[in-house]
Amino acid sequence: MSMVTQVNVLSARALREAWRTPEALAPTLFIPIFFLVVNFGQAGKIFPSSSTDFLHGQTYAAFTLPSSLLLAASFGTAALYLVEEIEGGYFDKLRATPIARTSLVFGRLAAEGVKTVLLTAVLIILALPFGVSVASGVIGWILLLVLTSLWAMVFVGFMQLIALKTRSAAATNSGGLIFFPLLFLTPNFVPRDLLTRPMEIAATLNPVTYVMEALRSLILEDLEWDSIARGFAVVAVCGVVMVLLNVRVIRNYD
Amino acid sequence: MSQPDSDPRPAMEESPPLLAVEAEGLVKQYRGRGGTVDAVRGVDLSVCRGEVFGFLGPNGAGKSTTVRMLTTLMSITSGTARVTGIDVASEPDAVRTRIGVALQEAGLDPRQTGRELLILQGRLFGLSASEAATKAGELLELVELEDAADRRINGYSGGMKRRLDLASALVHQPEVLFLDEPTTGLDPASRLTVWDEVRRINERGTTVFLTTQYLEEADQLCDRLAIIDEGVIVREGTPKELKSELRERRGLDVDPTLDEVFLDATGRTRERRAGEVQEVAAR
Repeated sequence: MSMVTQVNVLSARALREAWRTPEALAPTLFIPIFFLVVNFGQAGKIFPSSSTDFLHGQTYAAFTLPSSLLLAASFGTAALYLVEEIEGGYFDKLRATPIARTSLVFGRLAAEGVKTVLLTAVLIILALPFGVSVASGVIGWILLLVLTSLWAMVFVGFMQLIALKTRSAAATNSGGLIFFPLLFLTPNFVPRDLLTRPMEIAATLNPVTYVMEALRSLILEDLEWDSIARGFAVVAVCGVVMVLLNVRVIRNYD
Repeated sequence: MSQPDSDPRPAMEESPPLLAVEAEGLVKQYRGRGGTVDAVRGVDLSVCRGEVFGFLGPNGAGKSTTVRMLTTLMSITSGTARVTGIDVASEPDAVRTRIGVALQEAGLDPRQTGRELLILQGRLFGLSASEAATKAGELLELVELEDAADRRINGYSGGMKRRLDLASALVHQPEVLFLDEPTTGLDPASRLTVWDEVRRINERGTTVFLTTQYLEEADQLCDRLAIIDEGVIVREGTPKELKSELRERRGLDVDPTLDEVFLDATGRTRERRAGEVQEVAAR
C-alpha cells in the first residue's frame, strides 16, 4: 500500500470526524468573523479608503482580513482530536498497523489542509459585503487558499508535536495560545513601516508577519511575487522543521 | 512508504518456526524524575504456535509493558523478542503484518461507525477498498454486530466495543493475536461471549497471547500460562501442572485452585480482617 493511499484513507477519516463534530468547527468560523467585524467597526473610519494609501482603494476590512484568515487557520482542533485518540487508545491501534510513521503525521495534516481551504473560501465570501475584493484575481484566490491551508497544516503540525510529547489536552490547548502573541506581534493593524521601532523589530523577526503580508498583498494588490514568495518560503521552512520533528517524535514514541 | 506493495513476509514458509512468540532477557526501564524504574526485569517466554497462552500478574507486575514491547508499541531496553521468528526491534513492520492487537482500552474511534472502522483497518493492512468492505462484513457477522454496524461507536455498550476491537484485530488474519485484558470491565454475559470468540479464533489456527487478571478466565481458556510479578516470571506451565506442583509441595489432598497458585506464586495471601477480605504481602 503506497504512502499516498495511507495518507488518503487517514485524511478521509479525519475529515469525517470534523464533519461529524460541527460544534468544534463553529468557533473556527465565528471568532475570525467576529474579529473582522470588530476591527473594521473600530478602525474603518480612522482609515478611510479614499485617503489611506496602504488600502489601495479598498476598505479597512480588506487590510485586516488576513489576520482573521490566519486566526481561523490556527485553532489546531485536529491536535486535540489526536490527544483524545492517544488517551482512548486508538492511536496505539493505528501505530500497530504496518503503515509508514510519516503517514500517521500527514493523514491529519492533509485533512486540516482540505478543511482550511473550505473555511478560507467561506471567510473570504463572508468578507465581501464589507467592501473586500481579491485584487490579484483568480490566481490570487487560489494562492490565498493554498497559503492559508499550508499555514494551517504547519500550525497543526506544531500542535501535534505538543500533543505527542505531553499527551495532555490541557497542555495542547495552552500550546495553541502561543499563537496569539505571534498574531499581535505583526503589522495586523497598520503596515510595518507605521509601527513603532520596537514593534517593527519584533514584527520583522516574527515569521507570521511574512505570511500575513503575502496574504494581504494578494487581497490588496496585483500579484506581488516578492511578497508572495517570502510568505511561501516562511511556510516551507516552518513546514520542513515541523515534519522532521513530528516524524522524529512519532518514531521514538513509546 | 514502510511496506512494498508485495507481501513483505520473508521467504521462510518451508519451515515455519514452532514458536509464535519468544522473548529472552526482555527488560524495560523507564527514566523518570525519581530515577530509573525497572518495569520488566529479564522476561523469558516461549509461546508455541496454535496455543492460547495466558499471561497473569497483579496490577503493575509488567504484563501490559511486556505486551507493548512484543507488539512493537514500546521500545525494548535490552533483551530480544521474536514473533513468528521475526525480530520485533529490527523488523517491526514485518511483525505488525502478522499480529493482531487488542489492548486494554478497546482503542476505537468513537466518531466512526463499526463498519467504517473495520474498513479503515483493512485498508491500513493493505486490502483494497472492496476487499476491506467484504472483510468488514464477515467480521461484523463473526462478532454479531451486523445490526449495529452502521451506528457510531460512541453509542456502543462496553461489550460491543470490546467485540468490535477484537474484530478489528482480526481484519488481516493475524498469525498471533495479543489480547490485553480483553474482558476487564465487562458484565458476565459479555465476558462469556468474548471467551467464545477467543476459542473460535484459536480453533481457526491463530495463536492467542492473553493477559488477564481473572484467574477463572485463564483456567477456562489457556493451554499454558506464565505468572509475572514485579517484572519477572515466577511460574510457568499448564494450569494442571501448576496446580499439581503446588499440591505436591504443600501436601494437599485435592488440587488447589488457580487462585491459590497465583497467590502462592506472587507471595500474597488472603486474610479476613475486620470482616473484609484483604490481600496482604506474605514476604
